[in-house]
Amino acid sequence: MADFEEIYSLYSPQIFRVCMGYVNDAEQAKDLTQETFISVWKNLSSFRNESKISTWIFRIATNNCLRAVEKNKRVTKVELPYNLPAVQEETQEDKLVFLYKAIAGLEEMERIIISLVLEDLPQAEIASIVGLSDGNTRVKIHRIKEKLAIKFKDHGQFE
Amino acid sequence: MDNLNDLKAIWLTAKTDSLPASGEMLRMAKKFRNEKIRKKLMMIFIALLLAAIMVFGEIYNGSTMLSTHMGGACLIITCMILAFTNIRSLKRFIDFKDFNNKEFIEFMEQTKRNQLYYYQKTQVAGMAISSIGLLLYFYELVYRDTVLFIVTYSAAIIYLAVMWFVIRPRNFRKQNLKMDETLRNLHNIANQII
Repeated sequence: MADFEEIYSLYSPQIFRVCMGYVNDAEQAKDLTQETFISVWKNLSSFRNESKISTWIFRIATNNCLRAVEKNKRVTKVELPYNLPAVQEETQEDKLVFLYKAIAGLEEMERIIISLVLEDLPQAEIASIVGLSDGNTRVKIHRIKEKLAIKFKDHGQFE
Repeated sequence: MDNLNDLKAIWLTAKTDSLPASGEMLRMAKKFRNEKIRKKLMMIFIALLLAAIMVFGEIYNGSTMLSTHMGGACLIITCMILAFTNIRSLKRFIDFKDFNNKEFIEFMEQTKRNQLYYYQKTQVAGMAISSIGLLLYFYELVYRDTVLFIVTYSAAIIYLAVMWFVIRPRNFRKQNLKMDETLRNLHNIANQII
């Protein structure tokens, strides 16, 4: 059985980024990360290694994100304004903010899938977290990338 | 955007240093008490305690009228409905299931449908049984004194009328709107995982 503190140190940055991709709000993402690890702590002894521990943790985290609808806190989609002035010298932070905004314009499940892709999870693991077939996951990832590419192109970012 | 690798590089620049350290997180997890579970446990305890008091009263108060026994039985049934509903709902919080997102959304939809059923059917049945029980239970205590009878029954009827025609419809409308919206949102997300 893996040690909780070890698991936390290894996965908390990833979980925070995935939650951030879903909610686009640092405080909310931090709360979701903490809720995730409270759940991990409570249920670690019952984890039966039927799946990889990362799959198990990402499932808990993404389900926590989805639970926001229960509180009627459905994360509203953000539409990027058109004709953004082209910024010559973009900082890494500007780029990150734009990326979050672009992701916030996607549907809920698309946000989860692209966040997992950006965390470099294998497609089979993403499929297992979301509950789609491998083929369907591949198609969805392709479509989400296309959607993001259009957004980036429309706003002349990072060209 | 040149390619996905550019996005990954940007994605990884997110600052995560505001997260608690592992030791602190461990302390938080150990200290964490789920308020919802506590509230539900308290509700179950109160419902069972009230039922036990009513059963005790039924056995030892020496009432002779059928109306008192029927009233007592109705009130015990209401307490049991309340306890049973909360025990069933408590299972949802305690049983941890390793759901993928698709299964989790289906589970949440089913839970919301159960809650809707509770507000539309179980709560109405519980309130009806307890209202009848209350009116029957008081009869033996006050029927000999006309003034006490009128005062007790007027107060009971006013209380029940407020519960049935003001408080319940208001709460039901609010809950119904909230649950309808949640179900719509869940349905919308479920459609994204096809």
